[in-house]
Amino acid sequence: MSKYKGNFRQKRNKPVMGKQGREVLEALDESNPVIQMFKSFAAELDDKHDRYERIVKLSRDITIEAKRIIFLLHNFNIEIDSKRDSILEEAKTRLTAIFQISFLAIAKELQNHNAYLYHRAFTAGMQEFIEALCFYQFVKEEKIDNWKLVNNHFQYTEEDNPLSLLFTQYDFLLGIADFTGELMRKCINTIGSGNVSDCFKTCNFVKAIHTGFLGLSYTGNREISRKAYVLKQSLNKMELVCYNLQIRGKEIPRHMLLNVIEFQDTEIDADEGFVN
Amino acid sequence: MAGPDKIIADIFSPFQDHINAEQDVREVIRNIIKEIEKSTRDIITNLQVIHSQSNCEYIHHGIMKSREIMQGIAKGFEELDKAVPPGEYYRYNDHWRFSIQRLCFLAGLIVFLEKGILIERTTASEMIGVSNKQNIHLDLEDYLMGLLNLASELSRFAVSSVILGDFSRPLQISKFVGELNAGFRLLNLKNDSLRKRFDALKYDVRKTEEVVYDLSIRGLIPGSLQSEETNIDTSQPGETKPTE
Repeated sequence: MSKYKGNFRQKRNKPVMGKQGREVLEALDESNPVIQMFKSFAAELDDKHDRYERIVKLSRDITIEAKRIIFLLHNFNIEIDSKRDSILEEAKTRLTAIFQISFLAIAKELQNHNAYLYHRAFTAGMQEFIEALCFYQFVKEEKIDNWKLVNNHFQYTEEDNPLSLLFTQYDFLLGIADFTGELMRKCINTIGSGNVSDCFKTCNFVKAIHTGFLGLSYTGNREISRKAYVLKQSLNKMELVCYNLQIRGKEIPRHMLLNVIEFQDTEIDADEGFVN
Repeated sequence: MAGPDKIIADIFSPFQDHINAEQDVREVIRNIIKEIEKSTRDIITNLQVIHSQSNCEYIHHGIMKSREIMQGIAKGFEELDKAVPPGEYYRYNDHWRFSIQRLCFLAGLIVFLEKGILIERTTASEMIGVSNKQNIHLDLEDYLMGLLNLASELSRFAVSSVILGDFSRPLQISKFVGELNAGFRLLNLKNDSLRKRFDALKYDVRKTEEVVYDLSIRGLIPGSLQSEETNIDTSQPGETKPTE
């Protein structure tokens, strides 16, 4: 290949460093002030990026564990009574473990660092965790804690020094929005077990949350409005299910109710697909 | 069973208070930044003189004027320091990140014009007026972004210097941009905006090298009149051979 052709291609695709640039590079040594400066920058950037990645890993572990806890809690209505307590017990132990191990590890990483700078690294894990925590509280007591109460869990004491983890109100609310998705699933699963009153209760709870979202003034947060929209769709589904339960509940045996409603449910999905 | 009233009182009202308070802080910050941005544009206009005047007097005047405006900007950052709640720099920094990057670039340009050296991070933060503040500072990424913008401006400056008949400036710029490029290569950049901006640096490097090349093959570089003949033969487009 001719030298010219090689050069031509290089020039077209990406500029290569010319001789002058190469000579500048060669003339540079360790003592050059610019190089010295950039070496310290490199160390600073690496520290920042590494910390970020470590937190992302921790956050991902939290997400996985939270999803498993949610799955566990979905079994609550299906299991017989004696097993229910053990499910709650297990969920509680695992949730506490996330508080005490994973989130504490993140808090330690962020000690003496600005938590807002790394917030994006763990917001996903935080939201998923809030979803699991709310779900646990709802299954257990049919209520959820407010932000203050949950935030108390993120105040640690490490070697006699107070240590806290940033828990933003946005993360809390986004977690609650996700949590309503689980409630919808639970509502539909509940029909399978024939427990109609639970189904209505769950629906009412989501209604209350939906009302809350409607009352918010413009938040400037795109995630919130996106999730509020998803919440509205979940609620629509649940309301239709409850509607069907109410008008057809008496004419169909309980074990067949789910079939009827699931049939309706697929119809809803098809409609949505058509409209969109 | 918690009714809607309880959920709203417990969960949504505190959240609404929270975002209302946040909006208030943002409003204050936005107003401060608006003023800073206005002054920043004034500096940019003032410094454009380097592209149209080779007269030292004019350039000097432009620099002095810019430094004066920058002192006004420092006052704005004093206000910003008070407006930002402690420890929440990164919660709100979207509002001023771009302004600080621009100011970094302008401070870098001033220092380059005055002394011909790369502005240090501490110098930059002092000039802008964010050094030794409680709640605001100069972020490393913003400083680096400013330097990359400086490289682009200088590559244009190399061209306009030639137009104005100053043939020694491009050499200085080429060396400067080359060093900057070497420095940036030491950084492990993530796939973020800084990385993308850095990827464009090579075009600025090439541009300045081309200017130097064009000057050198015509023997227009000051102080190299004897050696110019021998330097032409091997050079290819895109490659340049500086003459000592």
